[in-house]
Amino acid sequence: MSNGYARYAARVLDTASKRGAGYADVQFWIAESESIYVQTGVVRDVDNSRTVGYGVRALVDGSWGFSGSDRFEDADLDAAAARAVSIARASALIPKRVRAVTPVEKYVDTWSTAVSIDPKSVPLGTKIDYLLQAEKALHVSASIVYGYAFSWNETRTKEFYSTTGSAIVQHLVQTGAGTGCNAVADGDAEFRSGPGDYGLYQGGGWEVAERADLVNNATRFGEDAVSLLKAPVLPAMTGDLILTGAVLNLQMHESIGHPLELDRSLGWEANFSGVSWAKPDQVGKLRYGSEKLNVVCDNTLPLGMATVGYDDEGTKPSPVPLIENGMLRAFLSSRDTAAETSLPLTASVRAQDWASVPIVRMTNISLAPGEGTLEDIVADTKEGILMDGIRSWSIDDHRLNFQFGTQLAWEIQNGKRTRLYRKPTYTGVTPHFWGGLDRVAGAQDWVVWGTPNCGKGEPNQFGRTSHACSHARFAGVKMGVKADD
Amino acid sequence: MTDARAALALAKKTLALVSGADQASVQVNGADAAYSRFARNYVVANLASVSTTVSVTFVKNKQQGLSTTGDLSETGLRAVVARASDVAAHVPANPEFVSLAVPGAIGASARSVFAATAEATPADRIAKLKAVFARMERSSLGSAGFTTTQAHSVAIANSLGVEAAWEGTYAGIEIKAIAERTSGYADFWTRDYAVLDAAERAHIAAAKATVSDDPAGLAPGTYTVILEPPAFVDCINNLYYGFAVDKIKESQDSWLIDRLDKPLFSPNLTVIDDWSYPGVANQPFASDGAPTQRVVLVEKGVPKGIVSSTYLANKFGVENTGHDGYPTNAIVMPGTKSREQLIAETERGILISRTWYTRTVDPRPCTITGLTRDGVYLIENGRLTKTLRNFRFFTSMLSALADVEFADKLYRSESADAPQTLLVPAAKIAKFTMSDQTSFA
Repeated sequence: MSNGYARYAARVLDTASKRGAGYADVQFWIAESESIYVQTGVVRDVDNSRTVGYGVRALVDGSWGFSGSDRFEDADLDAAAARAVSIARASALIPKRVRAVTPVEKYVDTWSTAVSIDPKSVPLGTKIDYLLQAEKALHVSASIVYGYAFSWNETRTKEFYSTTGSAIVQHLVQTGAGTGCNAVADGDAEFRSGPGDYGLYQGGGWEVAERADLVNNATRFGEDAVSLLKAPVLPAMTGDLILTGAVLNLQMHESIGHPLELDRSLGWEANFSGVSWAKPDQVGKLRYGSEKLNVVCDNTLPLGMATVGYDDEGTKPSPVPLIENGMLRAFLSSRDTAAETSLPLTASVRAQDWASVPIVRMTNISLAPGEGTLEDIVADTKEGILMDGIRSWSIDDHRLNFQFGTQLAWEIQNGKRTRLYRKPTYTGVTPHFWGGLDRVAGAQDWVVWGTPNCGKGEPNQFGRTSHACSHARFAGVKMGVKADD
Repeated sequence: MTDARAALALAKKTLALVSGADQASVQVNGADAAYSRFARNYVVANLASVSTTVSVTFVKNKQQGLSTTGDLSETGLRAVVARASDVAAHVPANPEFVSLAVPGAIGASARSVFAATAEATPADRIAKLKAVFARMERSSLGSAGFTTTQAHSVAIANSLGVEAAWEGTYAGIEIKAIAERTSGYADFWTRDYAVLDAAERAHIAAAKATVSDDPAGLAPGTYTVILEPPAFVDCINNLYYGFAVDKIKESQDSWLIDRLDKPLFSPNLTVIDDWSYPGVANQPFASDGAPTQRVVLVEKGVPKGIVSSTYLANKFGVENTGHDGYPTNAIVMPGTKSREQLIAETERGILISRTWYTRTVDPRPCTITGLTRDGVYLIENGRLTKTLRNFRFFTSMLSALADVEFADKLYRSESADAPQTLLVPAAKIAKFTMSDQTSFA
């Protein structure tokens, strides 16, 4: 599986060491992707991309420097290593600094994503036909003026080498597919999409696109969008809210995953994506939510978008409970942030690509299942609202006050869906909202949802995360908030 | 590769490798970008990377394939051409496709390359940060942010005769000053790193953070607000996407539908998209080489223009304005009063320094929600009297911009989410709805 980068790595690491790095690592990436986008009966874009490059990290006098390059001549390799050292040396001009940890582990290993259907083995025409069928199925009415379907897959071969002797080769495969539409009438537009928030993204091959079941879902989305045009707007209320997994996974992402990134809690993200209301010294003491709330970081999770054999600083992952029975147990960490706080290392360091510095990322953050199906929860609800599909999301820079807009809402009366509402919103404050979690659906409805483009860092990097969950019910939620009220 | 001539030569060399296409285009993008990121008055990440990509579009019988590579070797270039050709051979014809970009007059770009930015060293960036940390430590403040220096090139050559190339430098700094219970913010974006005064920006951020150490509550409701430029640009950018022709004619979820040429906003609002405007000095062509036109988007409160790419212009029979999907160089024309005068003329209102996580909730009425951050102040009788805790706002930008006036100075913003350079002044909005208040400042 190796692409023979060991020779290049030896030169880079040797140059970095000779120039003064006490530790250095280099990771080579070959990323090959294919994205297909069809819109309203037409294949609009088929993009096939291949990038190759490497990122060098050098630790000099307790400060880090990073340099990325896509040039492979000997002089280029030397220049990239020298630049990383030079940058680290400049960082060291500031006396105060990160408590940088020199890695000592040595791993020589290979790792691959489990793949049933290699995306490259599926003819392009087969993929296009699948998407065109799905897009066509959206058009259940003339009021559907716009529809789309897409697929995306990427294979990444990464080779990591360090001055401690690590040599790790990984082959990651990820796939996504989704569909959506707009229905228009009387000067208004209604949007419906899925599965998930905007599609199903998982670690794996073309089987993920098939699992997304786009054609059947598209018919349902089209029908929903048309029905929404005639539905009333959700009125303001406070009460029981049931979220499907399609919404719940993003709610977890924003109000659990991000606040538990340790670099954020330490203030390293304060200017951009913010800080966290949860603090490292609250581990074991902070009640994050109700007794029903059990969340684990598992970067070995099958189908996870963040599942790896090793993270991007060469750490081997294992499952770490983040929240147990509502109590905070751990944060998502890197070597440096773990050392700064004496909290466990979770192998949650990722770079977007070879040109990006590895940083702490939300990885696979999952909500443990409870019991029963979605319909059991509906039947168990006397009066409430069920929401599905994502339309908008916003949360403050402490990860407390949030507002979500969803694609549709069902009124629940005496255990039955009674009326469809459009333009629903709900809002809340993180610990109060999760404190109201009173029922979680069972393992049969547990889906590994994924996000391919979580933004964080300066420069902004897209990270890949997963949130496995079923469905859940929350008490005392404020819903139907409207603009300019 | 940050030299535009070299990028164009590479594009032409790659184009020459294409055979059998009805039309073909090659785009080359080069970058050398460095960031020094800080928090808690020290460096938390320090990095740089160089990259060059070559993208080939191959069209035959209206079948179109796109392929991108970073391998600039002869073998790599031949491979990317072959992949684009192979993709095109396996996709159905696109009946909407008319043509790739045709040659047009591309305006002469203003000066966009500055040596102080292109040649900045890691030590140069750290020197800027030392000034920031010194100012923060003088007031016992923490800090977070970054400074960046970047050089970019882009070149396009296509089989219809388009040849376009541009290079530019970017530099910037963002500073969040952090006190125990309050914070302040300042930034600066320029093409010339030499004019970036980090100490001055640090002072502005620090001053904002230290107006008060006891942030007060204020009931949610509709208030007169003054949005400082970083806040206003974040809000009005939600409006800009509605000027895209595909939002009007394809997805049909633009607020602009049925509102073109009709009075909608305050007569004080005029917005143009102009890459050549002083302070913008941007790339004068779209990603396919089509010349980017100056477009009047809003004139004295009346929406006047839409933007389009080659593909969509051909599909819908509208003018090709040379925009990749949305306004990329939008400028809100300034007013005549100073920011201080706008504050002085406000009997009761709220001054908002910066906003965060602003999202379009409903595109037809352009309702947006988001949160304030890093400096919110109560204005009473023309003076800042209190630091306030943060708010969630939830409002229609159509109604917010119905009664607005602008300060006299333009501010340059670079977007983290899209390749945009936007210029805005501070904006005083008569009615702006705060739907909730947070427990912190």
